[in-house]
Amino acid sequence: MWWAALVLAAAVAVGGCAERRDGAGPVTLVFKHAKILGPSDPIPGLLREFERRHPGVTVRSEPLTWTSDEQHQFYVINLEGASPTFDVLMIDVIWVPEFAQAGWLLDLSPWVARQELAPHFPAAAAAAVWRGRVWGLPWNMNVGVLYYRADLLAKYGLAPPRTWEALVAQTERIRAGERDPRLDGVLWQGKQYEGLVVNALEHFWANGSALLDENDRVFPEPDHAAAALAFMRRLIDSGASPGWVTAGDEELTRRPFGAGHAIFLRSWPYAMDLFQAPDSPVRGRVGIAPLPAHRQGAAGVGATGGFHLGVNRRTRHQEAAVALVRFLASEHGQRALTAAGVALYPTRVALYRDPEAVRAHPDMPRFHDLALAARPRPVTPYYLMLSTTVQPEFSAVLVGVKTPHQALDHARRRLEYMLGGLR
Amino acid sequence: MTARQRADRLAGLAFVGPAAVTLAALALYPGLWVLWLSLQQRIPIFGVARFVGLDHYGFLATDPRFWNAARVTLVFTGVSVALELVLGLAVALALQRQRAGRRLALSLLLLAWALPSVVTAKLFEWLYHPSAGLVNLLLGRPLNWLGDPSLALLGLILADVWRTMPFVALLCYARLLTIPPEVYEAARVDGAGRLATLASVTLPLLRSILLVALLFRTLDALRAFDLMYVLTGGGPANTTETLTVYAYRSLFQTLQLGFGSAIGVAIFALVMAVAAGYLRALRREGPAA
Repeated sequence: MWWAALVLAAAVAVGGCAERRDGAGPVTLVFKHAKILGPSDPIPGLLREFERRHPGVTVRSEPLTWTSDEQHQFYVINLEGASPTFDVLMIDVIWVPEFAQAGWLLDLSPWVARQELAPHFPAAAAAAVWRGRVWGLPWNMNVGVLYYRADLLAKYGLAPPRTWEALVAQTERIRAGERDPRLDGVLWQGKQYEGLVVNALEHFWANGSALLDENDRVFPEPDHAAAALAFMRRLIDSGASPGWVTAGDEELTRRPFGAGHAIFLRSWPYAMDLFQAPDSPVRGRVGIAPLPAHRQGAAGVGATGGFHLGVNRRTRHQEAAVALVRFLASEHGQRALTAAGVALYPTRVALYRDPEAVRAHPDMPRFHDLALAARPRPVTPYYLMLSTTVQPEFSAVLVGVKTPHQALDHARRRLEYMLGGLR
Repeated sequence: MTARQRADRLAGLAFVGPAAVTLAALALYPGLWVLWLSLQQRIPIFGVARFVGLDHYGFLATDPRFWNAARVTLVFTGVSVALELVLGLAVALALQRQRAGRRLALSLLLLAWALPSVVTAKLFEWLYHPSAGLVNLLLGRPLNWLGDPSLALLGLILADVWRTMPFVALLCYARLLTIPPEVYEAARVDGAGRLATLASVTLPLLRSILLVALLFRTLDALRAFDLMYVLTGGGPANTTETLTVYAYRSLFQTLQLGFGSAIGVAIFALVMAVAAGYLRALRREGPAA
């Protein structure tokens, strides 16, 4: 077996050399992207169409595993090694400033004017820009939303809650009426991982606070942040959320709600496709609402996620690579994401009102309003450092090991040492 | 030195050479490089690369997260290895007496051992599921296994024991097979009961293989990573964050190459100290092994 691998490696190496020589001849682009989950993958069709439009260019797509950490590790090792083995890459929005700062991405500003970002949702466009330059084009997006059991709320004559206090009150009322010990109140992601930071951010914003302000200060409104964290802890203490949300991730919380065992769920748009599947117990009984507000903040500000497309700065085919990125991010390219069976949501606002897209995904107009009001996680090259530092601290508040003020204090002190090392 | 002796010595060097070069290239060089990295502040993203001496070690000395990770690592290693040895030994003894279905039992043991640890972790994620998990169903109580700071580490230890107890069991079982039946006969003639036979015949004969198992398992447990990474991500509140998880977060997730290397060096020192202790104990066993 090993010699086969060796021959293959040699062949690839020779192939690579052959490519280097071409000036205007045939070009092969390599497109690295996360594995596309869901029943249908739009990428192969798009790449073949791009090849038809650009004679002489072939595109090879090479999927990575779907775990975000592993993709990050792959990119870091290969981009830091100045490896030109791929030209176009799909990157999580939170990595764009990091990769740009490291000098791994091609500055797209010469090709892409800032106006070209205008048709995308503001949160997605904001995540593409770092230090006034454009480093990636938004391709698909996610936004935090509140799912609710429309049938249960209607039964008790309730409208979707505007504030978290109202949500807790509704939970108590419905559970008292239903007398079902298996029916939980509100589910969300409290495991010590990136999802917890997203949930905490949404509570921060709902209470007029933030993780990082425009001047790179952490926790600009510490009292509001502490109140938000204390509220998250209270959701568990009061029984409005089951104790196990402290270990819950997206799937672990999506399943019980999908089985009809919870009234509310904070999650991403992908869950709706699964709730509306033909064999789903909650089919036709789930509504979508903006996230509720706290006392000091605004309602409906969900955090965004998703993927951008960038170009490896070491590519030997700048023009072709940029053309591919622009093609995939164009309205035509993103329309492929709205086909039935594709579990990705585009970043272009217009597509959310496109009749065909809405026929395939009837909830798109609803997601449109929520995506419009959403905010990106802090757009900074040290986002991962920020996030992994606050994860254990937030988790400590949820499980009652630290008070909110202690946790914020510890996180701030640690971040000061870490960020001090960057200068 | 005669010409003959010189030629012998040269031949010897030539034979040792490849192994020495390989070891140096694969172990010594990266090891020294990590040591060198740990003396620097190195964050490629921000173009930071400067010598900081022992700064990182100074920070670690007073870093509560580091000492917490060290404590978690030692508790995880101590408890899980102790349980694995006791249970593994018990299973091996049971296998020895078992007549029917021994082959099936062996295959089942091997299955648990052969599963990749990420698969094991996913398996236990569902076993521990608070409402739908088998563990809580059997206990009849809705325990929050992976989200409760007083339970999460225990949950990980039990998963690790399930996964690696078969290793100890198979090692002991193999040794048991090589004990000649005459030894047991002699014990019986001398009037030894079951317990006496176990205490004065079987266990002493298993001593050296148990030490080997202990060495392997301890070193593995000290470097355990996948189970906690997948099951809890180190949470809740870092109650399951081992040194390896801390090192991974610093090195690969946040790319603090210098700082992360310092944690790596600390892990290396810990593992080497434990290994040296065991090796000394094993050497004392000497030819009995």
